[in-house]
Amino acid sequence: MTEASARFDEAQGALIVSGVWHADAASALPKLAGKSVRILDGAGVTRLDTNGAWLLLAAARPQAGDPMPELRGFQPQHLAMFKLVAPHNAATAAEPEPRSEGVLALTGRGSIAVWGHVVGLLDFVGRLSIELMALLPRPGRWRWREFGAQVRAVFVGAIPIVIGMLFLLGVVFAYLLGSQAQQYGANIFVVDGLLLAILREISPVIVAVLVAGRSGAAITAQLGTMKVTEEIDAIATLGLSPLAVLAIPRILALLLALPLLVFIGDIAGMAGGMLVTQQQLDISYYMFMDRVADVLDLKTLLVGLGKAPVFAIFIALIACRMGLTVSRDARSVGAHTTSTVVQSLVAIIILNAIFAIMFVKMGI
Amino acid sequence: MADAVIDVRGLVTTLGGNSIHRDLDLSVARGEVVALIGGSGSGKSVLLREIIGLLKPQAGRIELFGQSVLDCTPEQMNQLRQRFGVLFQDGALFSSMNVEDNVATPLFEHTDLPHATCRQLARLKLALAGLPPDAAKKRPSELSGGMRKRVALARALALDPELLFLDEPTSGLDPTSARAFDALIRLLADSLGLTVFLVTHDLDTLFSIIDRVIVLSDGRVLGSGTVAELKTIDDPWLRDYFAARVSKGEPNHGN
Repeated sequence: MTEASARFDEAQGALIVSGVWHADAASALPKLAGKSVRILDGAGVTRLDTNGAWLLLAAARPQAGDPMPELRGFQPQHLAMFKLVAPHNAATAAEPEPRSEGVLALTGRGSIAVWGHVVGLLDFVGRLSIELMALLPRPGRWRWREFGAQVRAVFVGAIPIVIGMLFLLGVVFAYLLGSQAQQYGANIFVVDGLLLAILREISPVIVAVLVAGRSGAAITAQLGTMKVTEEIDAIATLGLSPLAVLAIPRILALLLALPLLVFIGDIAGMAGGMLVTQQQLDISYYMFMDRVADVLDLKTLLVGLGKAPVFAIFIALIACRMGLTVSRDARSVGAHTTSTVVQSLVAIIILNAIFAIMFVKMGI
Repeated sequence: MADAVIDVRGLVTTLGGNSIHRDLDLSVARGEVVALIGGSGSGKSVLLREIIGLLKPQAGRIELFGQSVLDCTPEQMNQLRQRFGVLFQDGALFSSMNVEDNVATPLFEHTDLPHATCRQLARLKLALAGLPPDAAKKRPSELSGGMRKRVALARALALDPELLFLDEPTSGLDPTSARAFDALIRLLADSLGLTVFLVTHDLDTLFSIIDRVIVLSDGRVLGSGTVAELKTIDDPWLRDYFAARVSKGEPNHGN
């Protein structure tokens, strides 16, 4: 095979080309700026495909309206390529690069998207409520098996990681508190601080974040893939409601699982704190438990556990809605899964702040 | 055969304990439009995947353009891949890109052309595949099945390959779109001098655009030739296969 080569004959206005012309031959073209090519001479061309033919034509007539050059010396099969390519000149004309958007436009788009999520979630809650009202008088139509499977996935599977995370957070928190309290000889009050922090804030928020990342993402990805493979349409066609069959069991499973996980997290966090206070502050396990019995208010425990179902409902609603609104391509499944996790985390943090203010105002 | 584009000799494939191909031989000459037919589970798609280097058979020899697919280096295989295009059954378009970028992807990867030129060449391929200009900016999910097939064909043709593999090109299309797609394949094969190797179930494709049919049965090539020649072979599956068309009341059985 001979390499592609091209030269421009000024006198005739002819572009003389030879060799193999395919997509990679473009670098062989000479600079033609401002020169008009009247003739394409291809006597030396050994191979030409549509990419090569298009490149030659584009070089000879840079503007869409330029006249067709005279084709000279080409073999019949190469002329056929030109005949194939030439009519599509207009469709392949160069187009301006799309302008990238500024910060203002992106902010606007982002705001519209956020508003869309708020409205979408409200709409979803409405439709879900209608579905629930229809289901309530007929307990036989509840999907107990699906509910059981979801509890297993959301709750049982999450226990080890909840224990591990909260235990380590308890360790870190007790260590930090202890190193401060030690300076004032206030060792025993570390237990009070730990109880309050773990039970009220750390365990509910961390467990909710964990479940949002673990189960929220899984729900969206699963429902989204079912949407892509038309399983959801199949469910609807069988006369079943996708909300009743898929969404409600998942929401109920999360509603049950999150408070239980928070309680397990409470115990694990306290166990981690207990280990550190015994090592660092010489507070024996017995003293620790004794102090817990003295200062533990049922209120503290209930505040933490009471937040969990609210977090759970928001995570489940967001995850189910995002899963069911996936459009039918793989990119959308990824985008919606990401969006579920982000929306859930934002919801958890906002809700937690609202709770904090509310409890202070109520004096709890 | 000196000018064989595809040459398969003594192919043996066993998948999960099932014998798929037993000592299978076939070859396709340059410029031929060849169809591979066979019952469900006869190993057509497996054979196609082996020829394009996605699956390794247990024994045998597969040559594309005179180069063995089974013992070439990854670089050689990549060189080879630029000389053939594949149209997968469901199009296999990249859903994260628009149509134009889908077709331009092989050009982005395998040529030094600026991206703007690649996109212009992509639009040329889309036009050759019979798509309207406004399709270029759409996403694959916004297109009908027939249009997706045409986009996939345009992508398979992006690098102007010499050889085109088509896996059930007309499946999932309505009869009108299917015939139009057949005509397009034949037109491109003739005008671009392509060799086409297609796997199909579609009898109308066989009767309209195919030079030669290869029948796969029981792990071997049962026969090869024009439809008329195949009808003389005495095989129960083949008889039923052609009978299906007769019973559809088509005019093509010598009224």
